[in-house]
Amino acid sequence: MTAYLVRRLLWLPVLLILISLVTFALGVYGPGDPVTVMMGLRANPKIIEQVRKEYGFDRPFLVQYFNYVTNAVQGNFGYSLVKYQGQPVGALIAKRLPVTIQLNFVSILWSLPLGIALGVLAALKRGTWIDFIIRGFVILGISLPIIGLMPVLNFAVARKHEIGPLTIGPFLPVGGWEGMFAPHIIMPAFLLGLGILAIFTRQTRAAMIEVMTSDYIRTAHAKGLKEWMVIVKHALRNAMIPLITLIGFVLAGLFAGSFIVEQFFSIPGAGALAYESLLSKDYYVILAFTLMAATIYVIINLLIDITYAFVDPRIRYK
Amino acid sequence: MNPRPAWKETWRRFARNKPALLGLLIIALLLFTALFAPLLAPYDFSKTNLDNVEKPPSAEHLLGTDALGRDMLSRIIYGARSVVFVIIVVATISLTFGLLLGAMAGYFGGLSDTLISRLIDFLFAFPDLLFIFFIAATIKPGIVTQLRTIALANQWPWLTEFVRSGYADYLVVIISLSLLGWAGLARLVRGQILALREKEFVLSAQLVGVSNWRIITRYLLPNSLAPILVAISMGLGGIALSEGILAYLGIGLQPPNPSWGIILSDHVVRYWRTWPEMIWMIFIPFIIMAAVVFAFNFVGDGLNEALNPELQ
Amino acid sequence: MGNILLDVRNLRTEFATQDGVVHAVNGVTFHLEEGETLGLVGESGSGKSVSMLTVMRLIPMPPGRIASGEVLFQGQDLLKLGDEEMRQIRGNKIAMVFQDPMTSLNPVLTIGTQITEALELHLGMNKDKARKRAAELLKMVNIPEAERRLDDYPHQFSGGMRQRVMIAMGLSCSPQLLIADEPTTALDVTIQAQITDIVKRLKNELGMSIIWITHDLGVIAGLADRINVMYSGYIVETAPVKELFANPLHPYTVGLLGSIPRLDEGRREKLTPIEGLPPDLVNLPTGCPFYDRCKFRTEKCLQENPPLMSVGVKHWSACWHYEAVREQRDAILGRKFMQPAAA
Repeated sequence: MTAYLVRRLLWLPVLLILISLVTFALGVYGPGDPVTVMMGLRANPKIIEQVRKEYGFDRPFLVQYFNYVTNAVQGNFGYSLVKYQGQPVGALIAKRLPVTIQLNFVSILWSLPLGIALGVLAALKRGTWIDFIIRGFVILGISLPIIGLMPVLNFAVARKHEIGPLTIGPFLPVGGWEGMFAPHIIMPAFLLGLGILAIFTRQTRAAMIEVMTSDYIRTAHAKGLKEWMVIVKHALRNAMIPLITLIGFVLAGLFAGSFIVEQFFSIPGAGALAYESLLSKDYYVILAFTLMAATIYVIINLLIDITYAFVDPRIRYK
Repeated sequence: MNPRPAWKETWRRFARNKPALLGLLIIALLLFTALFAPLLAPYDFSKTNLDNVEKPPSAEHLLGTDALGRDMLSRIIYGARSVVFVIIVVATISLTFGLLLGAMAGYFGGLSDTLISRLIDFLFAFPDLLFIFFIAATIKPGIVTQLRTIALANQWPWLTEFVRSGYADYLVVIISLSLLGWAGLARLVRGQILALREKEFVLSAQLVGVSNWRIITRYLLPNSLAPILVAISMGLGGIALSEGILAYLGIGLQPPNPSWGIILSDHVVRYWRTWPEMIWMIFIPFIIMAAVVFAFNFVGDGLNEALNPELQ
Repeated sequence: MGNILLDVRNLRTEFATQDGVVHAVNGVTFHLEEGETLGLVGESGSGKSVSMLTVMRLIPMPPGRIASGEVLFQGQDLLKLGDEEMRQIRGNKIAMVFQDPMTSLNPVLTIGTQITEALELHLGMNKDKARKRAAELLKMVNIPEAERRLDDYPHQFSGGMRQRVMIAMGLSCSPQLLIADEPTTALDVTIQAQITDIVKRLKNELGMSIIWITHDLGVIAGLADRINVMYSGYIVETAPVKELFANPLHPYTVGLLGSIPRLDEGRREKLTPIEGLPPDLVNLPTGCPFYDRCKFRTEKCLQENPPLMSVGVKHWSACWHYEAVREQRDAILGRKFMQPAAA
């Protein structure tokens, strides 16, 4: 166990350095010469040369990389070049990120516990009409493309507005952010949580069915334990262990969902910012966003693996 | 040792699963539509007619027309091509690399395992859509410009046509999807092979001097086929979904080429005003996309149950 | 001894499967006296485990179904009890120990938790008292450093140790009846002997009744007072243990005895397997289920399934031709059984 932890922890910095190296190389040189991209092909070569010096693009690659990373670690990710010209990227993202985190938090908050509950219910009522209906919903949740479901649901609750391209409805954001307790969060959080709900229901059901037929559950019944104790104390604990690894997938899904949902509902979150920057080729924003997202993702996945090892005594004592 | 599942029995169990059969039918229909799109489409998918815009379904235009008067049915039919193209290319690439590298890592272990596993870890360090986003934002413009320059320099009309058709934009998306698909599959194959490697029938084959290549292809892969098949059929639905989402976000196929994602995004932006009269313009691509993803999921579920009867 | 603890009458258990209804237990009738140890012997699929799981009402329903029968425990029909009443008997008055100690303990809970939960539930002990009692129980089954080991997880014990834990768990509430479902099958031979010794000792100390399920006559020869031999869901022979070994009167029992090695005989003899397979439990024959594999079969066996017939003192056999069995069994196995005159 200790050896495993040490190995995982040692691999983390290596992975982070690799990620930052590749993203920096691609982010800055991927589209071609960064200064030409910034200034356009017809810019004055003299000015290009000047900008190149100013931004340090004339120095060796590794030096540039090192400078970028040292700055980044201190929260300095460079400046927006396009839409928010001159604004520091770090501050831009810092302003937008809480919105995305709140939205994702609410999305997980309703969908994950409900998914586990429905999965347990379906497993216990396996083969009955309850199981049948829950499985039907799971297939729907997994298959309905959010890009289609989103407008359909949106229009279903929206009222027409005469003035302009505004959708107004009881559960819809109106292009601003009023915090995670405002009713406007309902529609985007519902859409974002749908996939999580489906995946957790499906996997919980599968895990519970497997666990419920295991020998130790029969032992628990043979002890005369109350049914809820068998389910909660003996079955659910075992069934939850493989579900921990799902959280990584959920996270990846939320990253993707945030782009789509925030952009559609004009929610001023980090996902919408990243999407804008992508379309307007605002490289420093994209670079910073990718780096931050990958770092968060890697660290959370590491935490998941460690939790996994701690929850399962068979691994903990190795 | 039974070298592979009994196919007849598997098929019998699969065929009992009605949703899976329906899924298979939808997939067959999708392939047929993609293959014969030029014959099936009543109109040119890009031909505009500004005198006949935003028309509801009629005998002339079965699914109506869009804002530029283009025939919706023809665009939907050609959209099938886009999905099928991406699915086939991505599946082929990820399958080849996933099987090969996964088997290598699992079977040989040691350095090759370390290198391949670390590479997989690295690719998995990015949330998938973010990865594609990043690639699309950084490398894509360079590659497309490069291709265009090469085409011009060499006077290759087919390459110019390829770039112009918008499929060059796809190249990058396809490569990034394949990179991710490859890694996922390789991880699964590696685990399977690792579990089988120490089994008696493999050890005895090694003792008798059967070559490594033969052991991998004849002993190990056939025995780990069931979970791989299930993962692939489920994965295809994911690829179809990604194609739509990327096109919707403007990263995949570019207009005026038809992709269901593009048709959706066109109408999502334009038709909020005319809701609910214009409902079909969103509903049709939505339902069709859902049906395709449904189909792959149903087939995957059906395969899973047919190959692992103890599950159901 | 004397009072009847468990009285099972005409018990039938079925399972609905895709291939049809599996008739696992087909009208089993037997009883168990207080303090008695009963061996339940048969090959896999003979219904020995299923019949005991039915007594415990641990059959998953569906697909399982108890088609008929009564299970009188201290005069009370367990099959008529409500779920809650039955739950209070399980683990308390009747306990069960299962075959595979590797999978029968919950991997994520400590041994201590798994033993004390029954004590807290059935005997209303508080945490401290339950823990003390759990340590005593572990000592009783010869687990060293019992107190410390309460905090260990199942994977930290060896197979034999885990089975002792299972037995300690089974005995925790001092049950009147312990059902042991092949508790030694998954263990090494030396460990098997240790486990049977422990059970024998505890039985004398605690004075409970035991039903010991096994496919191996050798294991319970020194343990059981009486043996029921089961075949495809029927009891085909029942007799006190000595009588059964000396005077088997069913062809299947003879076959079973022929397939175990004996050390008390002078020369090494040939072990004779029983040829053929048991009948399909979905399409049970109307006649004797052992017909296909039987050396004594006649037209009558095909027509009519023999009931258990009294063939001696406390000895019943379900064979039309038990007399023929008595006469020919020596020749079949090349071994001397009790002579007909002595019987």
